[in-house]
Amino acid sequence: MPQAPTELRVRIGGEAGFGIKAAGQMLARSFVDAGLETFDLTEYPSLIRGGHNNYLLRVSAEPVYSHVEPVDVLICLNRETLDLHHRELVDGGAVIFDPADFPAEEVPARLQAVAVPLTDIARDAGGKIMRNTVALGALLGIVGFPLTYLGDSLHKQFAKKAPEIAENNVAAAQAGCDAAVAACPDFFVRLAPIEGAPRRILVDGNEAVGMGALAAGVGFYAAYPMTPASSILHFMAAHEREYGVVVKHTEDEIAAMNMVVGAAFGGTRAMTASAGGGFALMVEAFGMAGASESAVVVGVLTRPGPATGLPTWTEQSDLRYVIHAAQGEFPRVVLAPGDREDAFELTWKAFNLADQLQTPVVILGDSYLSDNRQSTPAYDLSKVVIDRGKLVTEGEVPAEAKGADGRYLRYKVTEDGVSVRALPGVHGANQLGNSYEHDEYGFGSAGEPAEVRIAQNEKRMRKLNLARTLVPPPALFGAPPDEADVGLLFFGTTKGPAREAARMLEREGVKAALMQVVTVFPFPAEEVAAFLGAVPKSLLVEGNFTGQLEGLVRQECLLPVENTLHRYDGRPFTPEQIVARVKEVL
Amino acid sequence: MPTAKELESSMKPTWCPGCGNFGMFRALKEAIEELAIPAEELAMVWGIGCHGNGADFYNVQGFHGLHGRALPVATGLALTRPDLKVIVEMGDGDGYGIGGNHFIHSVRRNIDMTAIFHNNQIYGLTTGQASPTSDQFMRTPSTPGGVVEEPVNPVGVAVAQGATFVARAFAGDIPHLKEIYKRAIMHEGFSVVDVYQPCVTWNKMNTFSWFRDRVYKIEELPDYDPTDRTKAFDLSMSTFHELTCAPDECKIPIGVFFEEPESFTYQDGLPQLDRPMWKHAEKPRDISATIAAFGG
Repeated sequence: MPQAPTELRVRIGGEAGFGIKAAGQMLARSFVDAGLETFDLTEYPSLIRGGHNNYLLRVSAEPVYSHVEPVDVLICLNRETLDLHHRELVDGGAVIFDPADFPAEEVPARLQAVAVPLTDIARDAGGKIMRNTVALGALLGIVGFPLTYLGDSLHKQFAKKAPEIAENNVAAAQAGCDAAVAACPDFFVRLAPIEGAPRRILVDGNEAVGMGALAAGVGFYAAYPMTPASSILHFMAAHEREYGVVVKHTEDEIAAMNMVVGAAFGGTRAMTASAGGGFALMVEAFGMAGASESAVVVGVLTRPGPATGLPTWTEQSDLRYVIHAAQGEFPRVVLAPGDREDAFELTWKAFNLADQLQTPVVILGDSYLSDNRQSTPAYDLSKVVIDRGKLVTEGEVPAEAKGADGRYLRYKVTEDGVSVRALPGVHGANQLGNSYEHDEYGFGSAGEPAEVRIAQNEKRMRKLNLARTLVPPPALFGAPPDEADVGLLFFGTTKGPAREAARMLEREGVKAALMQVVTVFPFPAEEVAAFLGAVPKSLLVEGNFTGQLEGLVRQECLLPVENTLHRYDGRPFTPEQIVARVKEVL
Repeated sequence: MPTAKELESSMKPTWCPGCGNFGMFRALKEAIEELAIPAEELAMVWGIGCHGNGADFYNVQGFHGLHGRALPVATGLALTRPDLKVIVEMGDGDGYGIGGNHFIHSVRRNIDMTAIFHNNQIYGLTTGQASPTSDQFMRTPSTPGGVVEEPVNPVGVAVAQGATFVARAFAGDIPHLKEIYKRAIMHEGFSVVDVYQPCVTWNKMNTFSWFRDRVYKIEELPDYDPTDRTKAFDLSMSTFHELTCAPDECKIPIGVFFEEPESFTYQDGLPQLDRPMWKHAEKPRDISATIAAFGG
């Protein structure tokens, strides 16, 4: 059945290199500018030209948390798109296509064939390259949405090139719109701008992480490109001069992580990010950050592994790996943003936690977070605070940080495990940051006596207790746990599909309580146990094979896990899939 | 400004008696004293190896990193703290083997810092295995049949990769080494100093006397022009030697092979590096313009 007519689900498909994502994002931008909410999903193979790309956009008057399975409109920029995706269309859904690609008779009878000569119209408007624009105009035509917002987006897009390019594109969109309206005058979805809607930004997870880091005062970002983390590097580099950040594309991830530790030694807020594979190369230096008590932030944006795996797809299979990465034991914090609002907030908070705890903090995301854009309330900078912990940047080393001999104790044993961190340049701050076990001064060869090792090890591990008081707690959504029919437990980007699933269940009279484990390490055992105890039935949803979150629940809460839902095909969960599993559980 | 004595920490050096590291330690302390570098403006970074044990013996602002990774730690520091003079110490396995990738890229970046390589042509701390600079055919516990491959030519690699200061020194000639250190530290750009530092415990071939019989000073060469990169490369190629070579068959030049006094450093390419980068985190950064660009 078609959904409420104020919601539109459209898929654009074509060959890689056709500019499908760019066109789709322009469409999304037009809707968001008009006050609507959007969520998009880009699927693409790991190559630059050829292969099938597609872009899914969901548009609604209400906030949208994830993509959904059914599609109302399929824009076919080639023949293959029809074959691959027509089954996703709801009955009466529209197929916008170029009759030069395939005849209308090939569109299944349950669908509306909207033939628009994309190539011919584009050529008449000034060039075949505008084919995507013609298709966007056609889509807006059948849903009755004014073309002005797309026109504004086109003008912005081509402002730096030539005004006539924008004008030609506007003409191409208009011609596409006219042709589509003539072919499909009464489509069941109608969309209209919303006057006075609150301002939304349209960001993907990597942009959100980048903005969070910038807001937190990051001074150094070093990284090596790896999908899906690369665009954080692009984002930081694009803003390098504007905000005075030093951004370094390094020779490898080993260098990136080591450089970040070096920058942190100098007191700079420093960050690196990669996928799981790049993080593998960082792991030794990640451990060094723990040993040397360096305040660093590391983004791990995961994709299906092992090894090269599925570079452009998504998975949540690196949870245990990130929690346990590196030899030896040291405190760390791992934060798992669920959406683009979380990604901004948790990133700036990660820098505070790293400084307060003087230890590495990980932002654990995935391709579903990194690659996809979501309309999000504009970030409120007045909420951002900076807390650098026990940091001395200038002047003298304070008396409480000195030993009986008057010398600075970089690793002074303290009650909370955190020592005063006087930066190089502070008078009297001679010190030795050390990857070796060390004494309070930092001397490695003095770190070997058992009592020194025990004192330093316990000092570091005490920071985990402090971390538990500082980290963000789990987030609750949906029905209150004690009133719910079912409780869903998850981490990271499963948040979106889970929230949509709760909405769908509510329509069917099922009350779902949701808990997102935001800080996955240290694990919030008490809160999770309380949640699982409060709900009559529970379902744990995670995007991996082995049940990594499930194992943490068993280990940390000493509780059985009743029901689980896994996905490890490279695709994110859909709300429909979660709803179906909940029905089985109930 | 610390004196050589004040640059010594409370820890007593644990190198083997007669180790070449003692000479390097003394030469560097004296160079720093003579250059009058304030304690607050000096930072040192070490890798892992016998050289790295020296991290404990200096009284400076320092960081003792991982095996092979001293250069990127130093790079992160140098690219965020323009107020610091950064000196990096590495070994031959550390800097040319496991850290070889960082060596090549640090050279081409021309970051303004000084990289000192303790080159004893052997792995000392792990008990005597062949290193990237061990002579071909040298027998060690990891190469009982003799090293098969050619040794790395660090001076040649650095010159070829565009280094702006490349020198070789010998730990047995401390006054000469100290002068090279001073020039390297004052050079604006990436300074490579490869120091032959005989290992008295594990390397029984390349000993102090072996070197004394073979080294000569580049500055004594008539008409040598250290600003001629091609000549520097040619000279670096003359230094390959084998265990069997007689003193008069292989002479080893020490001194400054190449120097480009005015060069474009990595820091010159970073106009934003006008202050220590920690200053960016004194208060939340106003990124409202960027948020607005995303529609906010």
